[in-house]
Amino acid sequence: MSSVIGHLLRYGVVLSFAITVFGTALLIQQSGGADTSSPLTYHASTVPHGNFDVSLSALVSGLQGFQAYAYIELGVLVLLATPVSRVMVSIFLFAAEKDRMYVVITAVVLVFLIFSIFVTPLIPGFQA
Amino acid sequence: MLIIEFVVILFLVSILAGVFGSIVGLGGGVVTVPVLTLFFGVDIHFAIGASIFAIIGTSSGAASTYIKDRLTNLRVGMFLELGTTTGAIAGAAVAAYADSSILEIIFGSILLVTLIPVLMKIGEDLPKNPELKGLSKRLKLTGSYTEPDGTEVNYNATRPRTGLLGMIVAGMLSGLLGIGGGGFKVLSMDLAMKLPMKVSTTTSNFMIGVTAAASAGIYFARGDVNPLIVAPVALGILIGAAAGARVLVKARNPTVRKFFAVVLALAAIEMILSAFGI
Repeated sequence: MSSVIGHLLRYGVVLSFAITVFGTALLIQQSGGADTSSPLTYHASTVPHGNFDVSLSALVSGLQGFQAYAYIELGVLVLLATPVSRVMVSIFLFAAEKDRMYVVITAVVLVFLIFSIFVTPLIPGFQA
Repeated sequence: MLIIEFVVILFLVSILAGVFGSIVGLGGGVVTVPVLTLFFGVDIHFAIGASIFAIIGTSSGAASTYIKDRLTNLRVGMFLELGTTTGAIAGAAVAAYADSSILEIIFGSILLVTLIPVLMKIGEDLPKNPELKGLSKRLKLTGSYTEPDGTEVNYNATRPRTGLLGMIVAGMLSGLLGIGGGGFKVLSMDLAMKLPMKVSTTTSNFMIGVTAAASAGIYFARGDVNPLIVAPVALGILIGAAAGARVLVKARNPTVRKFFAVVLALAAIEMILSAFGI
């Protein structure tokens, strides 16, 4: 049971690492000589807080256009997927052990994660 | 500063942070956020955003090792994650309304609090094994592992509700400050639930990734995860933590702890002072 999760985590991290390295290489190639003051600017009163786009459409077109930020964001999102997939796999593994209580507990944790990742961005109270 | 300078320097510093953090047993957040805000002058919200993802990286990377050793207790971890995830979502929500100086003050204070277990040098001795009964029994919070010398250790957890409360606090701190909350998690599992130290630390490490993931999406959507910052930080910390884990043989050195306690105290004071504009 544990080795499935162990391998899953490791491959996810490696994949994320590779994508992020690629994105960083693009960053240096595309904007290495630019100044950091604009990219590091934090807007406290407007969302999103930085001078970069975080919408899904921007991500997709950024990937197609080989934009550095898009690949870094992708690498970061793959990283985010590793603990989430770990929880998902655990549900199946607990089910295989016929441990109904922990199938339920793990499913609840998964619901919290899904809520946090997909629902809260739509709630104004969480975005400020 | 030029982007290329920033990326390279931050990457190298992050490797150091990763090595340091993994040797002393504290997650990347406690080292990363002060370094980013104090040395690089980055806004603390960006620092937290980057730290959250660095933490996921080290947790997922390290957890793959410990699970195989049967040290990590998956049921204890999953049950307690009910607390950490709710806490993390709440913490991330609160962070939306906290301006930078308040976060810096809270962070500095938590750094000081984190000093307590480091100074106490929580002993490696196995606690007297409590009986498995009540809620712990129904939740199957029990396990066993093999010590390096071959002896088999059986253990049971106790006071799961207290442990869960500790986890909610740990989760809130994680969501608010971008730290792993490992210190609180280990304290709860060690003191409240009476789990063996090695189980507490490895299970905590395993849980930290899920806790961070619970607030990561919120930070990402807010635009607090700056690609310019998170790329070198996540990459550097990952490499550093992997290297540090190999050096872990020397981790029980009291000199390292004393040195770290001093650095931690200085960082804590600096963060609080910087919040007041000094």
